[in-house]
This record gives sequence, structure tokens and C-alpha cells, in this order.
Amino acid sequence: MKNVGQFCESGYQRLERKGVSRRDFLKLCTFTCAALGLDLGLAPKIAEAAEKNLFKKPVIWMQGQGCTGCSESLLSSVDPGPEQIILELLSVRYHPTLMAASGDQAVQSLEECIAQGKYILVLEGSIPTADPRYCMVEGKPFLEEFKKAAAKAEIVIAVGSCACFGGIPKAGFTGAVGAQEVLPGVKVVNLPSCPVKPDRLVGLLLYYISQNTLPKLDNLNRPEAYYRFTLHDSCYRRLHYEKGEFLEDWNNPNTLDWCLYHKGCKGQETYTTCAKSWWNDGANFCIYSGSPCAGCSQPEYYEGFAPLSVNPKEGK
Amino acid sequence: MAKRVVIDPVTRVEGHLRVEVEIDNGVVKNAWVQGTMFRGIEQILKGKDPRDAVHITERVCGVCMTSHGWTSALAVEDAQGAKVPRAAQLIRNLMAGALWLHDHPLHFYHLSALDYVDVLAIANYKGKDSKLLALKDKVMALVQTGDTAPLTPRYQPDSYSVKDPDTVTTLLAHYMEALEIQGKAKKMSAILGGKQPHQASIVVGGVTNYPKKEQLEAFRTLLNDVVSFAELVYIPDVVSVCTGPLLSLGRSGFGAGPGSYLAYGGFSMDEAGSKKLFKGGVISSKNPGVVQELDISQITESVASSWYREGGPFTPWEESTEVDLDKKGAYSFAKSPRYNGEAVEVGPLARMMVLQHSGLLDLMSRYGIKPGAIARHLARAKETSLICEAMYRWLDELEGLLKTNAPIHDTRAWEVAAQGQGVGLIEAPRGSLGHWVKIENKVISNYQLVVPTTWNASPRDEKNVAGPIEQALIGLPVNPDNPVNIVRVIRSFDPCLACAVHLIHTDGEKVVRV
Repeated sequence: MKNVGQFCESGYQRLERKGVSRRDFLKLCTFTCAALGLDLGLAPKIAEAAEKNLFKKPVIWMQGQGCTGCSESLLSSVDPGPEQIILELLSVRYHPTLMAASGDQAVQSLEECIAQGKYILVLEGSIPTADPRYCMVEGKPFLEEFKKAAAKAEIVIAVGSCACFGGIPKAGFTGAVGAQEVLPGVKVVNLPSCPVKPDRLVGLLLYYISQNTLPKLDNLNRPEAYYRFTLHDSCYRRLHYEKGEFLEDWNNPNTLDWCLYHKGCKGQETYTTCAKSWWNDGANFCIYSGSPCAGCSQPEYYEGFAPLSVNPKEGK
Repeated sequence: MAKRVVIDPVTRVEGHLRVEVEIDNGVVKNAWVQGTMFRGIEQILKGKDPRDAVHITERVCGVCMTSHGWTSALAVEDAQGAKVPRAAQLIRNLMAGALWLHDHPLHFYHLSALDYVDVLAIANYKGKDSKLLALKDKVMALVQTGDTAPLTPRYQPDSYSVKDPDTVTTLLAHYMEALEIQGKAKKMSAILGGKQPHQASIVVGGVTNYPKKEQLEAFRTLLNDVVSFAELVYIPDVVSVCTGPLLSLGRSGFGAGPGSYLAYGGFSMDEAGSKKLFKGGVISSKNPGVVQELDISQITESVASSWYREGGPFTPWEESTEVDLDKKGAYSFAKSPRYNGEAVEVGPLARMMVLQHSGLLDLMSRYGIKPGAIARHLARAKETSLICEAMYRWLDELEGLLKTNAPIHDTRAWEVAAQGQGVGLIEAPRGSLGHWVKIENKVISNYQLVVPTTWNASPRDEKNVAGPIEQALIGLPVNPDNPVNIVRVIRSFDPCLACAVHLIHTDGEKVVRV
């Protein structure tokens, strides 16, 4: 029945037929450039490439030991919104929270998509290695199902810190690890943070779909543009740090924007763009809400950073 | 002869859920509900700084993170004797309230509606509404390219499915609109919380975000959008579908639970917490219609059918969580919470029953709708109305307080107590949520979560009493080749399996899979 990938018309014509204007499309591409820290002048080039290449890319989204927070995070993307992502940009063949199908029909969708190949595989949540029974799907170990899907994927994206490095579950006894650890020899793109930052995922997807290649990755296989500098580097509270002004009492109106180091801030050790591009459509981010960075995008997170709220001056 | 049917994965619920049923002559004779994922959050918390529990437990669930973070803070605050300032209480109410306004419409449109709506009937839409026609074109374009994922494949629409093209097209348009709205609701919560999912600003003692004037203005603007969607689109949709095309299902009491209900109550309306938006209380099936006072010492958890070391039932204070993967007779790692020995339902229907909410009860009696799957959807919509109204009251009160530089944090409570024990009890979107914490030598010595889905999706206890979802499935008419009724009933509870952290799956026998 399915004939995805065999389109005669160009991607852009298809988009146009679905009511996406050229202007909207250029906006998406500009957004990709901005998110990846690329020269905005590249947007028309990306658009041009995308017009030729773009068709709805099949996606398999698997959930291991997670909390669905990364799925929820993707749904909180505003520009493009979730409707555009789900119906126009991607062909979501398997997503346990979104898909209509249950049980065998869901499994069948998964298997058909794997048989066709040429899909993007996304992992949310960690994978237990101590005993397969800690995460089972369709009565089978999740680890095996994930490996099967990864074997024929075009690219594998680990979203959120659990899927990248094990995250919080790694601190437990289930042997929780990230995607790369169970896929030696496969290049996994890591998008750590808890949850995944939606503009990073959308930016990466758009870049990959339009360019057919990955952006530059760092030594932890993260897109360099998102993880090049520490939060501390661009923190708007930085001046107070330099002056030795630290917030001690959240009620004191005179110190509200002082440095959060004494509240346990991990911003000096955490590579992320949070301070530059905020969360939830630019509404806020942890530091601006008076909360110390918990280091949620780092491989050390959580166990390596515990306890989170201690003033480092007083020692752990 | 009875046929055993497995649905795994049950999708469009939070987390990993597997259900097995025995169907005889078109009726479910027996049911086993199992979660299939385990992280061991409670074990991770042992030995940790009690303040970290807020950060960790909000990550128990990426859908109801504010409820968990808040409950955890309440538990540790209880243990440390903190007094949370009113402004901080209000900020928590507003953050959590925003997520209820995110959760309930999302549950209806994105998690449930596809079980009741024949989406492809949009092909027959003959109306003139330009927005709906554009949507029809969009969906038909997907159909033509043979790529209608994730809307298909699906169970076949049956005699209860909504097929009227106008209704279907309108509902699908609202499905899309609700996608945008849930993003806005999360953004609201992020304005006060730092980000969503997984807010940063709830901490032991209060909150960290001293809201600026422009933040509250932005919050109010988004609140207007979200409330108008809830009041003008979501709630009317639920009521008209449940009292229209799904009325016969509602009247049949399809998916009725045990008939016992529990609510802890939640959302304090004054500083002392003496008045709450949702009342706490218990209704026993042995004494229907009578709301009894809640006594939390009556809460115990059985591990009779669970892969835990035998013992108990224990109260959450006394429990440990020692895994025994090879325990005989166990079929799930869900513990079985019971109130005074009874399996009780929690969630919107339970809350509204305990509240004796006249709007819902009148609607049910006017249309002859019995407690069950359809009543759960109605209860969820009706309580959304209560939240909408309360949000404005909380926001006004907060604005007034902040003008007087009111505090947002009990600074004394930041220092960790040497020892203590505390409990946090609230209402989360999916039902009653409790965290129990014990602190010794300034670290957590025991942490237990009893979450809504553990109440609802619990396995059989030591007296072989089935859990509420299992009870709701037993007696259900089901076509074994198209078991859409099973998922309709399960989803009416809005289960959240990542929350039910004890859950783990045991290997089933070879059975028919559907």
C-alpha cells in the first residue's frame, strides 16, 4: 500500500499543495540556520536543497526507560508547531504516545518501516543492560528491538540525557545506558539535556533532511553548535559571579539576579546554549527563573553532580 | 472456549503498558494489566540529599512533572517543618493548573479521540467552512500518497464510532488546534517554572522564581487563549460527543470500575490549606453515595502479585522496594495499593464523586450515564472548568501579594533536617498522588511513591482482589479480532506507566496477539 519515497513532484510542490507557502518554508529554513548557529544567508540555499530533496521522512521513535518528557518537549515546539512537524515534515510511522495503532498493528507498522529502510530512528529514554526484563515491548527485550531498528536506520538520534548517557536511570541498578553504548560502530547523534531541547531536535532534523548530511559533531557526537560553550560563558548573571555576588535568599529583592553558584549551579561545567536560546519559545530558562543549572546535558548527570543544591564553598 | 488476547504495546498512554485478557463469548472474563518498564527511582533516591528528590521525582513523568515535583517538595517540607509562603503556594497552583489545562485536552484529542472517531470520514465532508476544507485537503493529500501515519493503521471503526463527516472534520480540526494549545499551556507553566517539561523553580521551602510584572502579563495573555479553548472548544466537544454519539456507551456503564473512589484533595485556596479546590475523601462501594473522611493510615500496599520480596501489606512508611524477579505467582511489579483493604479508583471521576460535583452528577442523571469510561471523560472536562475559574483567582491573588514584596521561600527550610519523616499528598491530573519520605543523618533513608496509576493499574492483592482497571475490563463486551473496547476503557483512566515506577513485566505464555 505504502509508496513513500517515490514522489515525482518536488518536495516544495508537495508542500505547496498542502498549503505551506514558500514564505513559511523559508522561515523554517532560517530557523534551522539560526538554531544551528549557521550564517543566516545560508537559509535560501537550504531551502533550495530542501525543495529538491524534501519528502516526508519516515521516523521511528522508540521509548526505553524514559518519562515521555522528550516527546512532550518536541510537542512544545512552537515554530514550527507540532502539527507541521507531525504531518508535514515527518512521516511518524512509530511513536508509542502519538500513533493511532496499538498492539500488533503498532508492531506491524514498525516492522514495515524497518523493512523499507531509509528512516530516522529516534531513541528517548535509556536502555537497561542488567536484566532485559526492566524494559520490554511486545513481550521482547527492548534492547533487541532497538538494535534491530538501528541496524537499518539512516541515522540514529538519541534525544535527552537518558538516551545519550543513561541520565537519571544510570544512577539505579538496572544497568541503564545510552544508545551509543549498545550500538558500537554506529554513529549516534546525541542531543543531551533533560528533556531534549525541541529547537535542537527540529533544527537537526531539518538540517539532515534538507542537506542529507549531519552538521559538525563534537567528540561526544553532539552537534557542535549546541554544545560548544558552557552555560557560564554566556550567563547573564556572569558579572555578579566575577564580583563575588551570590544569591543566598530567594526573597531578597536586591539580589534576585545574582549568581546562583552558592545554590549549587553547575553552569561552569555544563556545555549548553540554554543561556542564549531559552526554552518554551523563548519564555524562560532555569537560571532566569532563579534556579541553579543542574547540569542536565552533561554525561555526569545525575549521579556525578549529586547533591545538586549544595554550596560548593561548603564542600560536598 | 476462552480466547486469550494480548495488546502490547498499548499506545497513546504515557509509558509502557501491556494488557492480557481472556474473552469468552464476546465478553472479557479475566484481565491482567502490566507495566513493562522499571527504572528504580526510589532506590536511586536512597542516601541522597532530600532536596534532590524534587528534581529527580519530577522526572518520574514528563507529562505530570509539576505534580511530582510539588508533591515531593510537600513531603520534604512536611519532614522539615517548613512553612511555604502563600505567594509560593499560588505560583505552584498556577504552574500545576497550567499543566492540567495542557493535560486534559491532550488526553481527549490526542490520546483518546482516535478510538471513537472515524478520522477517514473526513473524505465525505461536504461543508463550506474554508478552514475545514483546507484540513480535508491536507488529510486527503496524505491519503493519496498512501502515508497517513500516525493516524493509521488503527482498529476498525465500529458501531459506536463517530462517522458523521461534519463532526469528524470539526473534531480533527480541534485535534490540530489542541496541539498548539498544549504548547501554549506548557509555555505558561515555563514562565513561572523556568522550562517545561521539567520545571526548575519548585524547591523545598517554596519557589525560586520571583515573578516579574511582565511575566505575569504574558502568563495572563496565554491563560486567556488556553481558557477560551477549554471553555469554548474542549469542554463542549466532550459533552456533545458523550451525550450524543457515545450516549449508549455511557448509559451501559461501559468500563465501570470498582465503584469505590478516593481523592486526597488539592490546590489550597487559602494559606492554611483549610479550603481546597478539590476535596479529599473516600467513597466505598459498600456504602455508595456516602463520602467518608480520608484517613491516610488506612493506605497499605500489597505485593502478593508483585515481583517483590513477600511481606505485608505495609503502609508506605514501612515499605521497602526489594526486587525479587523470580517470585512465583507474581505477574507484575506494580504493588497493589488498597484503602481499608479495598481497590479504589482515583482520577477525575473519583474527584468529582468525592466532591459531589452537581454539574457532573446532574448531567449524568439527566442523560442516564452510569459511572464508567464515558463518565470519566465527562468528569475530566467538568473539572477543567473548575481549574479555569480558579486560575484567575490565583493569579489575581498573586499579583496583589507581589505588590507587597511577599516572600516566595521559607529560607529556614533550606537547611536539611537531621531526621524526620513527611508525606506529600495532592491531586495530579490522573488522580491522587502521594510521596512518603524518611530522612536520617540528613539523607533520604526511604522514599515511596504511591502514584495514581499504581492505584488504578494495580494487580491482584493478597485476597485476590483485582485492580480497578482490571475490574473495569472484566465483563466488557469485546470483539477479539478488533479489541478497540479494551483500549477505550484503559485510556479512559489516562494511565501513566512511567509514574507507576514499581511496574515490571513478567514473561507471558504464547497467546493470540491483536
